Order: sequence, then C-alpha cells, then structure tokens
Amino acid sequence: MTQMSKTTVAWYLLAPMMIIIVGVAGYPLIKTVYFSFTAAHLVSPDTSDQWVGLTNFLKALGNAKFRSSIGNTVYFVVFSVSAEILLGVLVALLLNQEFHGRTLLRALVILPLALPTVVNAMMWRLIYGPDFGALNALLTQVGLLAEYRSWLGDPSSALTMVALADIWKNFPLVALITLAALQTISRDHLEAALLDGANAWQRFWHVVFPAIVAPVSVALVLRTIEAFKVFDIIYVMTRGGPASSTKTVSFHVYQEAFAYMRVGSGASYALIVVLISAALIAVYLKLLQRQGETA
Amino acid sequence: MTGLTLKQVNKKFGEFPVIHEVDLSIDSGELVVFVGPSGCGKSTLLRLIAGLEDITSGEFWIGGQRADQLLAAARNIAMVFQSYALYPHMTVAENIGFPLKLAKLPRARIAEKVAAVGESLRLGALFDRKPGQLSGGQRQRVAIGRALARDPKVLLLDEPLSNLDAALRLEMRMELSRLHKQLAATMVYVTHDQVEAMTLADRIVIMREGKVEQVGTPLELYSRPANVFVAEFIGSPKMNVFSADLDRSGGNPVIRLSEQTALSAEGAAGSRVFAGIRPEHMTPVDDGGLRGVVTAVEHLGADTLVHFDSAFMEGGIARINGISGVRTGENIGFQVAAEQYHLFSENGNRL
Repeated sequence: MTQMSKTTVAWYLLAPMMIIIVGVAGYPLIKTVYFSFTAAHLVSPDTSDQWVGLTNFLKALGNAKFRSSIGNTVYFVVFSVSAEILLGVLVALLLNQEFHGRTLLRALVILPLALPTVVNAMMWRLIYGPDFGALNALLTQVGLLAEYRSWLGDPSSALTMVALADIWKNFPLVALITLAALQTISRDHLEAALLDGANAWQRFWHVVFPAIVAPVSVALVLRTIEAFKVFDIIYVMTRGGPASSTKTVSFHVYQEAFAYMRVGSGASYALIVVLISAALIAVYLKLLQRQGETA
Repeated sequence: MTGLTLKQVNKKFGEFPVIHEVDLSIDSGELVVFVGPSGCGKSTLLRLIAGLEDITSGEFWIGGQRADQLLAAARNIAMVFQSYALYPHMTVAENIGFPLKLAKLPRARIAEKVAAVGESLRLGALFDRKPGQLSGGQRQRVAIGRALARDPKVLLLDEPLSNLDAALRLEMRMELSRLHKQLAATMVYVTHDQVEAMTLADRIVIMREGKVEQVGTPLELYSRPANVFVAEFIGSPKMNVFSADLDRSGGNPVIRLSEQTALSAEGAAGSRVFAGIRPEHMTPVDDGGLRGVVTAVEHLGADTLVHFDSAFMEGGIARINGISGVRTGENIGFQVAAEQYHLFSENGNRL
C-alpha cells in the first residue's frame, strides 16, 4: 500500500462529515441567501427566480414592524439575561454555603432547566391565566392586586411576563456554571484573605469575583445568543400577541416566511438575524479565548 | 513581635476530640516547630492560633491579651499556607501589597513596604508577574512576603516546604532560618519532616493524636526523648527500640543484652523494659559486643547503613561512618557506650 500523507488521511476521514454538513447546512444556507434576493413566494413557484436585488433588505430595514420586533427582542434579552445572571450568581453563592439539605436543594434548582421549553411555557400560561391563574389568586389573596387581570392579554405586561417565565427556566444554567466556578476556589485563598484582613464583601470582590467572572461572562454571552433567538416560548404563550407586543425577530421571520409564505422577504429577515447572532457569537468566541489564556 | 500562650486548649470536631489539653508557651522571637505524623493535630493547632478554627475550651493569649474570642483578622497573625494561596489574578506586587491595601494604607506607603519586602526576599525582578508564571520557590517567597508585609505579631507557616523539590527545600530552609534571625520574628512552623524540625527550631513540639508528647530544643529531644514515640520519631534512620526482660536476681534490676553487657534499669517496674540505641551510636567490633547477622547493606557514600537481625531484635539498623566493607550474611558485632542506651518503662516513658 502506498504511504498516504497525514493531510490526505485527515481529508478522507473528514469527508463523510463534511458532505453531511454541506448537505444539511451549507446548501440550505446558500439557498436562503439566494432566496433573499428574489421575490420567492411559497404558493407561486415561478416567483423563485424573480431577481429583485436588494429590495427585500431595504424593505426589511425600513419595515416599522420589524424594527419594533428588534426593540421587543432587545428588551427581552436585556431584561431576561440580566435577571438570570443576577439570580443565578446569588443562588450559586447560596448553594455554595454549607447547610443542611444543600444537596437536595442543588438537585431541585436544576429541575426548571430539565423541563422542555414547551412544557414550561404551557405551565406559565396556566399560572398567568386570567380566570383561574395561580398568580392572580396569589396576588389578590395577599392584597397586592384588587382584581384578576390578563397578564398575557395586556400589551404592556405580556412581554415582561414571558421574560419572567424564561428567567425561571434559564437562571439555573447560570447558577450551575457559577457554582462549578465557585467550587474551584480553594479554601486557602479565602482563609488567606481572611487573615489578610478582608471582610466578607472584600473577600467576594477580591477572591470570589475574579474566579467567577470569566465563566459567568461565558454564561452571559451564551444566554444572550439564546435569548436573541427566542421563539418557542413565545409561540406557545402568546404567538407574538397581543398587538405584536411580544413579537421578536425570530417570530417575525417565522411569520414572514411560513405564515405569509413570503420566502424571499423572510430569507432577508433571517439573514439580518443571522448577522446579529454572528456578532454575538464572535463576542462569545473572544471571551472563550480570553478565558483559555487566563486559565 | 509577641509571645503566645495556650492554656488547657481543647478542640473537638463534633464529638470527636482532635486537640487534647495542650499547654504551651511560645516566647517572643522564638521559632517553634510543631511536628508529628499526619493526623496528629499539628495543623489544627496552628489554625486555632490563626483563628481559622475556634477552640472548644481553654485559653489562648497573644502577649498579654486574651485572644481566643478575637476574630482572625483582629489577631494580627499572618500565615503562609502549604498551597501558598497566592491570588492568581494579582501580580506579585499586588499580592504582597494586598493586606496593606485592605488596611487602607496610603498608596505611596504600600509601594514603599512592598519594595522593602521584595528586596529582602529577592523578589524585585518578579513584581509584575502573576503567580502562574513563577516557580515553586518563587511562589513560596511571595507567600512569605505577603505574610511579612504588614509586620504581623506572629508568623505561622503550615508545611511551607512540602511542595518543593529536595534541593529547593534545603535552600528555602536556609532562607527561612536566615529570615528568622534577621526579623527576630515569633514563628510557628508546622511540618511532618523531623529534619526540618531539627534544623530550624529553637524548640520542637512533638505531637501525637492531639496531645503534646514532648517540648524541647532539638538536641534535648534527640538526646533525652521523653518516651518511645519521641525516641523513634526524632532521628533518621530511626532509633532501634526493642523489649528486654528484667533480671532482678542481683537485687537491682538489670537487662542482659549479651554475656558481657548488663545494663542497670533502676526504677523499672514490672518484668520488661524497652531499650533504645541510635543507629549512629553503634560501632562495629570484631569480637564480642552485641552480635547479629547482616541482612542488607546500604551505601550512602558518607556513611553505610547496615541492617541486621540479632537475638535481642529483628530489623535493626546501624550507621557506620564512611564506606564499610561489611557484606550481607556476615556475622557482625557492635559496641555501644553505656550512656548511649535509652531505657523506657513498659508504658513507654523514659526511666
């Protein structure tokens, strides 16, 4: 047998996977880019080669509904991710303390994360229910609310309520990552700081925080990317309503391409979303790289 | 610097006692080494002094001040950890200056102190490096520097050399010894290595199972061990200890190791005693003496370790100066001066 170079062998071994990736990701991506420059419409097949140049993109950027969906998405991302980070870190600090029942509580905290998003969304829809919802019952019984309200039916509260459901499901991920980082802090470091005269806050700021900042920022970017793409929880809880108040960019793309069947225009929206996601992923990779350097 | 006093100190973890009735007084400027096998409570005792653990009962004094209720930070005691515990995200200079920064010293004063400490520990060139970029010995020096920066009343060192290789350990031992003389600091040093204890200590505290077995200068412990445990712990290779029957036929009790050797065991009760001979106190002789058969020979260059079995003990070791021609299987005799025998009663205490 002739001797193959290492590079040749590598290409042979990679080939099957590359063919699959090109087939299931590469081809659709190229096709999407192609569609975004056409007037393609699902029910009129002859439109798929009607070249329209940049018209779709110009329309998309000029579309007030799309811009408002970007606004909704930014609100959802900022509110849910910052709450998840804050709650996650606090819960991790608590779970890192020694107390009775700690192991049980650590297991319980993971439960929301293990729940499928659709189940979580249905559960919270029930909790928020305007007629028999637990939230209304609780708030009226403790006297914080005079009468039942429709949390998801009110455009001023719907997006916040969806975000709260998302926070409940996703803060455990942040807690888990932070807890893992907290456990790498040696007791010696904390005791050394204690003997050096550091109070509880100074021990957190000078010893604990530097040890968790890198993993927490990775969690932050991961959650930001995920929250930016949010679709399923909105599909189940509100379908973008009421009055488009919970319509995010992913939902907008879905509606444009599959509800209104405007594939060409939907593709251009999708590509804009992809570009924004790519920018966030670049930040994520940069952070990972930095974490690798400091470790 | 200040002295320390422990009175009837006890420590329990739950119901489990780890420190038992420790009475100890450490003078100002003294270097005291706690030594003992692992699990003997030496590190726990150090942590009690530091304030990282609370004592269960008893009293602890720093100088003239009762300190067992004082918080760790208020005791002004510094500690060098076995793992060094340097803050990984801070540079060497920031690590050393950290306790001063917490004490809210002005920046210029901190820089001045850090520079002084850095100079005395030869760390100047490393000030901008992070701990991850330092060798074990350099990290060790930074840890000591951080501990010294704020002029603590007492400096505690918990097995500070155990993570270093043999050559570096020797170097750092000398460095610590020099530092102690230079600073005249009160130091408490924990180790399981009796050589470190012997070479560094003004006084050694030997511990076993949470109790203090003996306190004394290295040479006191070596030449007059209080019991069999101390006798075997101090010295390398360890003392040959064997049990011997008492012969009371002549009135005063004696033990007979050979036809010519009878040792007085005055004050011994019961029917047996323990006798001990240090390997370095056994001189080979051609005729007579304590006879045995050589089972192994180890040539260390400067001296030779001869392992032997004899009628009175199995697995004995003798240390012979220089290179010896002794061979395995040979019949050998040893002479031991009468004053080099250590006799212990049946319960292990020195007679």
